[in-house]
Amino acid sequence: MILSILKVTIREWKRIFRFPVYYLALLVLPPVLCVFYAGIYSRHFVKDLPVAIWDDAQSPLSRQFTFMLEQTETIHITQQIKSEAALQAGLRHGTIMAAIHFPKRMDEHIKSRQPVTITVYTNVSFLIPSKLLYKDAAQVLLTAAGGVQLSKFVKTGMPAGKAMALVMPVKLQAFTLYNPRYDYMQYLVPGLIVVVIQMMMIMVSALAVNYEYHTGTMDDLYVTAQGSASNAIAGKALALLGIAWLDYFMVTLVIFPLFASGALYVDGQLFVIYTLLVVACISLGLMVSAILRDLLLAADVGIFYTSPAFVFSGFTFPRWGMPWYDQYYAALMPLTPFVDAFFKAYFMDLPLRYMWPEMAHMLVFPVIALPLAIVFLQRSMHTLKLQHA
Amino acid sequence: MPDNSRHTGHLFVRELKLITGNHSLLLTLLIAPLLYVFFYGTIYSYKVEEKVVLAVADEDKSEMSRQLTEQLNNLQIISVMSAGNLQEAQELMYHGKAMGYFLIPKGTQSNVLALRQTTVVLAVNGARFLPSSELTGAITQIGLGVGAGVRLKYQEMSGGLNSTMAMQEAMPVNVDFRPLYNPQSSYGGFILPVLIVLILQQTLLIGLSESVALDRENGHIPLLVNARGGFSGALYGKGLFYLLLFGAYAAFFMNVNYRLLDLPFRGYAPDMAVLLLLFLLALIPMAIWVGTLFKNQLLAAQLMAFSTYPFFMICGYAWPLKSMPLVFQWIAALIPLTPFVKIYISIVQAGGTLADNMGAVIHLLILWIFYVLLALLGLRRLYKKQQPVSL
Repeated sequence: MILSILKVTIREWKRIFRFPVYYLALLVLPPVLCVFYAGIYSRHFVKDLPVAIWDDAQSPLSRQFTFMLEQTETIHITQQIKSEAALQAGLRHGTIMAAIHFPKRMDEHIKSRQPVTITVYTNVSFLIPSKLLYKDAAQVLLTAAGGVQLSKFVKTGMPAGKAMALVMPVKLQAFTLYNPRYDYMQYLVPGLIVVVIQMMMIMVSALAVNYEYHTGTMDDLYVTAQGSASNAIAGKALALLGIAWLDYFMVTLVIFPLFASGALYVDGQLFVIYTLLVVACISLGLMVSAILRDLLLAADVGIFYTSPAFVFSGFTFPRWGMPWYDQYYAALMPLTPFVDAFFKAYFMDLPLRYMWPEMAHMLVFPVIALPLAIVFLQRSMHTLKLQHA
Repeated sequence: MPDNSRHTGHLFVRELKLITGNHSLLLTLLIAPLLYVFFYGTIYSYKVEEKVVLAVADEDKSEMSRQLTEQLNNLQIISVMSAGNLQEAQELMYHGKAMGYFLIPKGTQSNVLALRQTTVVLAVNGARFLPSSELTGAITQIGLGVGAGVRLKYQEMSGGLNSTMAMQEAMPVNVDFRPLYNPQSSYGGFILPVLIVLILQQTLLIGLSESVALDRENGHIPLLVNARGGFSGALYGKGLFYLLLFGAYAAFFMNVNYRLLDLPFRGYAPDMAVLLLLFLLALIPMAIWVGTLFKNQLLAAQLMAFSTYPFFMICGYAWPLKSMPLVFQWIAALIPLTPFVKIYISIVQAGGTLADNMGAVIHLLILWIFYVLLALLGLRRLYKKQQPVSL
């Protein structure tokens, strides 16, 4: 039996290197897309976004605030505007992403105990840049406002410690763990690569059995597997798993160090959960392939099943923000538990014991899909045997 | 002229028959656009994520710390999960049950009452981009509110100021945040408008490239070209069907789905109609050219399925074009989605016009011509290859 499985595995590897539907998806696309994504996010952070200053104050304080804003990572002051109409026009043309307005007589009002309001306008059609711009602008302006308050208190003769306690009685020490600077290369690229791999594993394994009919090699598979569907399925699954591991090492040891973070990323936990994801994907694909003899239909099922996986997985938009039926649908895809485990393994570097629920979830897929694949293939092989008899 | 119309009509009917006779094309072109637009739309129908779980370790157990916890829990964005101590709060985050933790150390209230600065700690899981930034933003606001409250009380008690004056003294400089065009700063409001056009683009690209690859697979390219219309006749005849079909989808999405998903439309409908027409005119020859590159329909379906995320990632919507290396900016400039999204978002969200985005309109027109030329070259190449076979 083991020898037969091994023969099927070797035979499958030969097929993978021979037919474009296999090698293009399994060996060419993953590195190409990996380099592509790494290239898009190679600058890691959003920097120097165009921002306008609408300075009605024209005062020393407004100039000082403007200087402080320019020193931040995301804000790059590209123009001065004089009205709200100019602000709207700039946003519509896309020449600016945000604007900051200092009101008339700002300095005088501050000195004469009249509160002033500095307004930050951002174009939230572009959510990520606008959030980053707001974060930087708010940090500068709130610090500056605190400075104004502090100097007022100190001028009244109040001790510095007490003045500080009044300006900020409760100091918030905020830590953004695991990705403190919101590095997009670190945050998004690994996830996108995994999406490619899960898509390709399901779509290729969905053609693993039925393509044998297309190439007229079903008889050969029957002989190699000694008429056993379990041998055929196990051999094909192992071959695909081997290729998935090859992709894993190609991405983590070659492509990521060269084109992305510049560091090797070898991690036991990640390898374990990646293997579980791949096994789940291969099992589902083989099940589809054993059930559907029509290649295009099998490919379509693969496309329709895998293409929404990323958005349903909760990688970018949390699942608890989705309607309940979408949350149930998300659970039907192996990428969903993988993403939860991935956050824990890749970003948080936690031991595997924190990922048991997700690992169990991923194991459900092969437990259900592999026996079904074997049953359906065995029926086809039985028919084949009867035809030969 | 009548010959041309007859030829176009012939190819139009032929395309209809081709699609109805091929379940993959039927699925991709007639079922997928509608199914996807409703299916994907529901994911973001709530638009914002609410009740992000925050583990709170209250070591102070004072009146003030209880009030602070209650204030946090009252925020729409936060759902407080009580933790006995810091370690328990951390464990909740490690298990994925909380997106961060908040520590109120012992002595917080007594420090504030004695006018000594006190420190509270917030740790958020930055691996989850959206929830972590929402948590930080919301808690910063709460912190500012507490600060203002303390100052107000101090001014009233020690400065002898009335409430109004004390309030003015408490907050001498305010920052007013005006999120324009997406007032809730919601992810749904950001992603849905583009998701709709992405579905339109991808189903067209996959379906039409599959159709061309099928013609190539069957050796039918000479049939298309020799039906008296030449190469351009083949392009227009085949393309007209898709222009009408996807034009109808676009009209449906912009009217029905926009209303169902409660998406604002701030621009002018005629501008949007012209823009969508230009977009489809650029996409159709692009899809035909891409289709000529595949030897069979299966390969086209399989490989084009991987194009969705790369197109979205590079078009400049999710990640600013200027933050990409130059070579990727050039690649992005070759994709019709790039200028389209710039104009589309300006019209839909900011109430802009085509005139406001003339540079991007010209860019889209250039891409139309560019892809027409590529499609004609692709058809000519296949025609030459298949000509002897057809004879």
